[in-house]
Amino acid sequence: MNLIRAELERLGARRFVQLMIVLLMLAFGVTAATTLAGSHQPSAVELAEAQRQAAANLRGMELEHERCLARDRGEPLPGDEGFYLPPDCSELDPALRDRLPVAADYLTGVFTFTRQAEPLLYFLVAYLVLFGFLVGASYIGADLNSGGVVNLLLWRPRRLTVLGAKLGTLLGAVLTVSVLASLAYLVTFWVIAQVAGYPGPTNAAFWADLGAIWGRGLTLVLLAAATGFAIATMGRHTAAALGAVAAYLVVWELGGRIVLQILEVARPDQLMLASYVGAWLAGEVRFWDSTACRTVVDSYCDGSYTLTWQPALAVLLLLTAGLSASAFAIFRRRDLI
Amino acid sequence: MTSGVIEIEGLRKTFHSLRRGRRVAVDGFDLLVEAGQVHGFLGPNGSGKTTTLRALLGLVRADDGRMRVLGAAAPEQLPQVAGRVGAIVESPQFYGNFTGYRTLRLLALAGGVPVSRVDEVLEQVGLADRGDERVKGYSLGMKQRLAVASALLKRPELLILDEPANGLDPAGIREMRDLVRALAANGVTVLVSSHILAEIQLICDHVTIISRGRRVTAGPVTEVLAGFDHNEHLVRVDDPARAEELLLAAGLTVTGHADHLVVSGVPDPTEVSRTLGEQGVWVRELTPLRPDLESVFLELTGAPAHPGVPRQVDGSTPAGGPAADQEIDLGVRGVDA
Ligand SMILES: Nc1ncnc2c1ncn2[C@@H]1O[C@H](COP(=O)(O)OP(=O)(O)OP(=O)(O)O)[C@@H](O)[C@H]1O
Ligand SMILES: [Mg+2]
Repeated sequence: MNLIRAELERLGARRFVQLMIVLLMLAFGVTAATTLAGSHQPSAVELAEAQRQAAANLRGMELEHERCLARDRGEPLPGDEGFYLPPDCSELDPALRDRLPVAADYLTGVFTFTRQAEPLLYFLVAYLVLFGFLVGASYIGADLNSGGVVNLLLWRPRRLTVLGAKLGTLLGAVLTVSVLASLAYLVTFWVIAQVAGYPGPTNAAFWADLGAIWGRGLTLVLLAAATGFAIATMGRHTAAALGAVAAYLVVWELGGRIVLQILEVARPDQLMLASYVGAWLAGEVRFWDSTACRTVVDSYCDGSYTLTWQPALAVLLLLTAGLSASAFAIFRRRDLI
Repeated sequence: MTSGVIEIEGLRKTFHSLRRGRRVAVDGFDLLVEAGQVHGFLGPNGSGKTTTLRALLGLVRADDGRMRVLGAAAPEQLPQVAGRVGAIVESPQFYGNFTGYRTLRLLALAGGVPVSRVDEVLEQVGLADRGDERVKGYSLGMKQRLAVASALLKRPELLILDEPANGLDPAGIREMRDLVRALAANGVTVLVSSHILAEIQLICDHVTIISRGRRVTAGPVTEVLAGFDHNEHLVRVDDPARAEELLLAAGLTVTGHADHLVVSGVPDPTEVSRTLGEQGVWVRELTPLRPDLESVFLELTGAPAHPGVPRQVDGSTPAGGPAADQEIDLGVRGVDA
């Protein structure tokens, strides 16, 4: 317990961690300020107008669906002729749409929470992932380098306990910072929407969606922190983690992708880690496989496939667990100079 | 069971590196430090002192050999005794952004030592006024003092100091000497490695000398010195040439020098003065030449083979005594102060 307290203090006193938190607050402040400056509370008239537009749009969609159904029934088409109607009318059914037009879509210069919360949260998650990775890597990297680990091991000659305490402290601290930061962030924008914007239709489904992204985002942050920690431990250096990631991105995600394309390997996106990160965050991601329809000549061919979050999580967990396990195994036996 | 506080038998350690291949650092080394000793650990650069201490403290893995510290098998049972062993290994590094006080406080916290101890040890090593400054602003000697402070923090029964005098000023060296003596008086066992042989001779009661990873001599300082006492005497007279003749005629072994003679193999110097005095050659100076640690050390580990040719670090004499072509002039260096 004391070990964790000491580690927590060590982590908190690190310049780099402090810098990253200041940067986070700075980015946060700038976004909030510009949002606040560029938004106003919609007047009753604006709101009524926007609602009217949304309703009109919805009615238009319903009308088109009806025309299509009428065509299928062989009735004369109401309204304009000449509009394209798809062979399958369900494509036009408003009830089957992902989302229907809402008043918020027709408000200009108004910050609408329900529309903006998701991209804002993604931005925060991206920052926190970077934060977690860099802090994880530099925390152990600097400690290995500065002899801090050796000093500590003279006091606590249990390597796995010491490394475990460090990893645990790191994950706990990163999680705490992430939870606090993201809550403060969402609450701030929620307040901005209340006083100088438009909250939008916040129903249970919206909150559930946002909550899911939040939870998945935080998980990703923790995985990134553990990965940075593990690679830096194996490489004895903060730079090892940065180098490994840069090398992976350049060699595999860029170079490998080109090679896979030349070799016409099926579904190359399935082999890219970035796809799994995206799938985990978004719930699922659709990819288009250009090789799938090569042999199909004139019949209809759908070359798309999806990656869902379950296999994505499995891949990310396996990777992180594998790296961490290797880091502990190597650290247990290594000569510490 | 022996009263060995440190027992090392047959320690072997080889470093492997991809580029340089194998490097044998410790090659079947033995060390026995008994309770209450102030034990000097001497050896040329690269002879394996630090590697031995690192292996003993569980920082590097030994390839072979048996080690015990305070009765516990090292490194397996080290955690049981770590709280009673204070150690510094080869100029420890500290995290530069922390103050001296905080560095020690974190170690105390991690090691379960009352934090009040920190002020005591800072005082003890003369850093009381500088404890609230960042370590990166410390001078070499101040860092060394901080390291010693960290080793003293847990009131160790066994203190292992690898080159504690490194970077210390003359006053600091004297303080270190007083500190070690005071600790020894309180029953602390001390193992200290140093290249300042006069210092070792002053504070240590036992020594072990290592060369090329092997023990070349060990035992009480007085016995080790006695073993190298060739009963030599320095003789100054007005007419060295005549004196040399007379002494040779009396069957003594004499080496002539520019302004003095060295007579060896005479347990009783009266013989020299009588031999010369009877022939009217009056002795101006007659000094016994006792070996000091430096001369013993150089004789055991190999002095510069040829004047003007720098000796290379691995050029030490292998275990078993001086190389045949290396003649050591004990005479001049060995004058008792
Ligand atoms: N990490 C390492 N990798 C490879 N060789 C090493 C390593 N550490 C030490 N050595 C080698 O082991 C030998 C013993 O080194 P060690 O540091 O134990 O010497 P030392 O007796 O402490 O010397 P000094 O008096 O200079 O401190 C040297 O030849 C050194 O080059
Ligand atoms: Mg050394």
